Amino acid sequence: MLTYLARRLFVMIPTLFMISVLVFVIIQLPPGDFLTTYLNELQAQGEAVDPAKIEFLKRQYGLDQPIYIQYAEWAWGLLQGDLGFSFEYNLPVSDVVGDRLWLSLVLNFSTVIFIYIVSFPIGIYSATRQYSWGDYGFTLLGFLGLAMPNFLFALILLYYANVVFGTSIGGLMDPEYINQGWSLAKMMSVVEHLWAPVVVIGTSGTAAMIRRLRANLLDELGKQYVVTAHAKGLSPTKVLFKYPLRMALNPFIADIGNILPQVVSGSVLVSVVMSLPTTGPMLLTALQSQDMYLAGSFLMFLALLTVVGMFVSDVLLAWLDPRIRLQGGVGN
Amino acid sequence: MISILNPSMSRMHRAFSGLVMTTGFLAASVLVAPAHAEVPYFEDAVASGSLPAMNDRLPEHPHVIDFAGEGKEIGKYGGEFVTIMGRSKDIRMAVVYGYARLIGYDQDLNLRPDILEALDVNEEGNVFTLHIRKGHKWSDGEPFTAEDFRYYWEDIVNNDELFPVGPPRFLFVGNEPATFEILDEYTVRYSWSQPNPFFLTELAATRPPFIYRPAHYLKQFHENYRDADELQAMVEERGLRSWAVLHTDIDRPYKLSNIHRPSLEPWLITTEEPSDRFVFVRNPYYHRVDPEGNQLPYIDRMIFNISNAKLVPAKVGAGEVDLQSRILSLKDYTFLKQSEANQNYDVRLWDVGAGAYAALYPNLTCSDPVWREVLRDVRFRRALSLAINRTEINRVMFFGLAQPTNNTVLPKSPLFKPEYRESYTDFDVKAANQLLDAMGLDERNGEGIRLLPDGRQMEIIVETSGENPEHDDMLELVGDSWRQVGIKLFVKGLQREVMRNRAYTGETIMSIFNGIDNGLATPNTAPDEFVPVLQDSLQWPKWGQYYQTDSEAGEAPDMPAAKELMEQYRKWQTSNEAGQKQAWQAILDINSENMFSIGLIGNVPQPVVIDKDMRNVPKKGIHSWEPGAFFGIYRPDTFWWDR
Repeated sequence: MLTYLARRLFVMIPTLFMISVLVFVIIQLPPGDFLTTYLNELQAQGEAVDPAKIEFLKRQYGLDQPIYIQYAEWAWGLLQGDLGFSFEYNLPVSDVVGDRLWLSLVLNFSTVIFIYIVSFPIGIYSATRQYSWGDYGFTLLGFLGLAMPNFLFALILLYYANVVFGTSIGGLMDPEYINQGWSLAKMMSVVEHLWAPVVVIGTSGTAAMIRRLRANLLDELGKQYVVTAHAKGLSPTKVLFKYPLRMALNPFIADIGNILPQVVSGSVLVSVVMSLPTTGPMLLTALQSQDMYLAGSFLMFLALLTVVGMFVSDVLLAWLDPRIRLQGGVGN
Repeated sequence: MISILNPSMSRMHRAFSGLVMTTGFLAASVLVAPAHAEVPYFEDAVASGSLPAMNDRLPEHPHVIDFAGEGKEIGKYGGEFVTIMGRSKDIRMAVVYGYARLIGYDQDLNLRPDILEALDVNEEGNVFTLHIRKGHKWSDGEPFTAEDFRYYWEDIVNNDELFPVGPPRFLFVGNEPATFEILDEYTVRYSWSQPNPFFLTELAATRPPFIYRPAHYLKQFHENYRDADELQAMVEERGLRSWAVLHTDIDRPYKLSNIHRPSLEPWLITTEEPSDRFVFVRNPYYHRVDPEGNQLPYIDRMIFNISNAKLVPAKVGAGEVDLQSRILSLKDYTFLKQSEANQNYDVRLWDVGAGAYAALYPNLTCSDPVWREVLRDVRFRRALSLAINRTEINRVMFFGLAQPTNNTVLPKSPLFKPEYRESYTDFDVKAANQLLDAMGLDERNGEGIRLLPDGRQMEIIVETSGENPEHDDMLELVGDSWRQVGIKLFVKGLQREVMRNRAYTGETIMSIFNGIDNGLATPNTAPDEFVPVLQDSLQWPKWGQYYQTDSEAGEAPDMPAAKELMEQYRKWQTSNEAGQKQAWQAILDINSENMFSIGLIGNVPQPVVIDKDMRNVPKKGIHSWEPGAFFGIYRPDTFWWDR
């Protein structure tokens, strides 16, 4: 098991390295950079031309140097926890990001938990009562969540949250808590606002989860050992939870690695629509204005999240299913 | 006092007589003004001695707002008002709404001294004497004096490291910079050998040039006043490269990125970027008072919440704001009106001062040589215009309440001619096709799309600032009708900065943006939006850049019509009023003839949402950036809460 974990951890390093190269190249792809456009703008305004600053920025990031050196400096900074400098905000990226990373994590993890809480019981119910009204009903609900455009659903939920509960529209807290320190009231306000985006992002993920669990469980339910267990007089619940469910869980857990990036990228759009103070909207504007280091740091953060998600699902799988553990440790 | 010898100086005269009147009115009111009650917001601070009493905070002669003339009532102190902005950069709107200017427009668009006590202009219009209010103080309590003007002139714009290109253009006449003199502690003078028609309007602009800076504060960041080692230490502590970078960073009077910088505005920023909520609190040393001598503003705090533009109508409908016009548009009107029943607000429709609501800008200075050639052919631009069904746009998008128009001055302007508004605005596909065929663009591919001279398909990518979804909707309609003349239209949404920058560098073929801003132009308004002198003008950014950078960057105008425009612009600058009108008319004629920009629709009323308990906001106003500063000329510092 330990060797397996070590191997998995080790694989993350080249993966992240490759991702960082890709991220850097992709950010550099559009013609021009923030500085050239910035310089043009400043020059023409005639009021704030400041070549010293351009020089300073150019040298600080080595923009006059070949691209591999630029990459090396950026990556070296990342390793030391220096996320770089946001041109747009004129601040270090770490100062710009602030609470956003944490709120993003809270949002994304809440969403994943929501997906599991909703799809797990529904999946079991649908499988054990196949083709019942309940099965059809929940399945329909799940597909509705999948089919409805996120932004539309978000707007509808926001509207009704406002009409019914008086929750302020958009954001993750009432406006008066923005810029305040964390307090109980602020956290309650976050909770009050959090459910809407969680439901919006979550519903699009539940349908897939429900169907997957249902299909896997149905496969197992018809197998010999289940029939035998039933025949020997074990209670149906005990049979279900002890054997077929465990078997069916395998892909369910393997999905953690997939669900994280799905949720994260889905949350960018919803965050923009709902004006959430998460990394999503900032990433979007950073990409639009070619604020490369801010965008790069966000993308690396998302990549890290995905890689860690994959790792977690691998570990859980290994723990759950000895076959995987043994193959990982012994084979090749 | 001064006889007007030169008729061209009537604008100066108007401004000047306004000054005399205001000072006279002011003297009278100061005599009767009683001792005033303290602003409740500051009572504790004054009682504890950390802040002087109101009378000691105000200038000797504060600016008394003419409530009777502006139809306002005396208000009560307190409260806050919330408005929503689309992005955190919009905190600069605080400077716009605050509208504290050396001289500024009143509600009737006359120039009046505001921060200044008076401003004298000689009859030639080349000597401007600025009188500062005695005892006027920066928001930190330090005196505001001639030194602050000197600091700007000598230590900022004439410092080679801070401002390598030198002072802004309006402080030049031709190539001659202003002569700056300090007459005494409260009087400064700017003069030139020739008249400077830009000086006053520039000072009153919605984005003002801030020719005064808080010298006492900024000196600590300036190499002339600070020990070099100490300064270097500060620069290094912030991880910057030089003191000039530090100074520029610290001193951003419009972008408000430094919350410690002293200011003269009614409300002071207290929140740093990045944030989604910006709080501005009242300036204890603000210079305006109501006729009873109460220091303005009435309202203690101004709050900008930042939110996705798409959510703004919903948030307004949910009663989350007290005052909102930004981001709202006519299409939100029915929804807002519907929610009016449950919420405590009024929706008012204000007139707009813009000449057109939206216009297409073919980039005549684009880098693509083939497109440049095509776009510069007037037949092409006329054909594009003829192939737009403006009536359809009006009906589909604006309930028919707007008006098909070119991008030009409004009928209320004394310069208006009907043909400016109407030429080439009829929907006539046949004529458009004929024009394009006559240009030799008659080859088409299998889809019926015309081919450019180099064989590429005629696909026009129209870039948008991504802020106004109506622009995309209009382009959808325009695209349909352009298809009928064999032109494909693609929309590319960008961010405003990116869109501008792409246009500046010549990558843009065509863009859509708001039409001209000042539709109410008079002969003495600068015709900058119609001549190639601004890089911001998306139809000729490089020519504008050339003019603005004094030919250091960009390209010289090389179309005969553009040269003619520049000729008329020079005439406008040096003529008397009759000559100015003539030059203006010629400029408008050339624009109308050449369709340099293609106006789509105009006269779209602006919904303004105001809480019912908020007083002193006019029922009917003009919603315009320049002149007007949106709410600025209606003086939000006089708004108050009746509850």
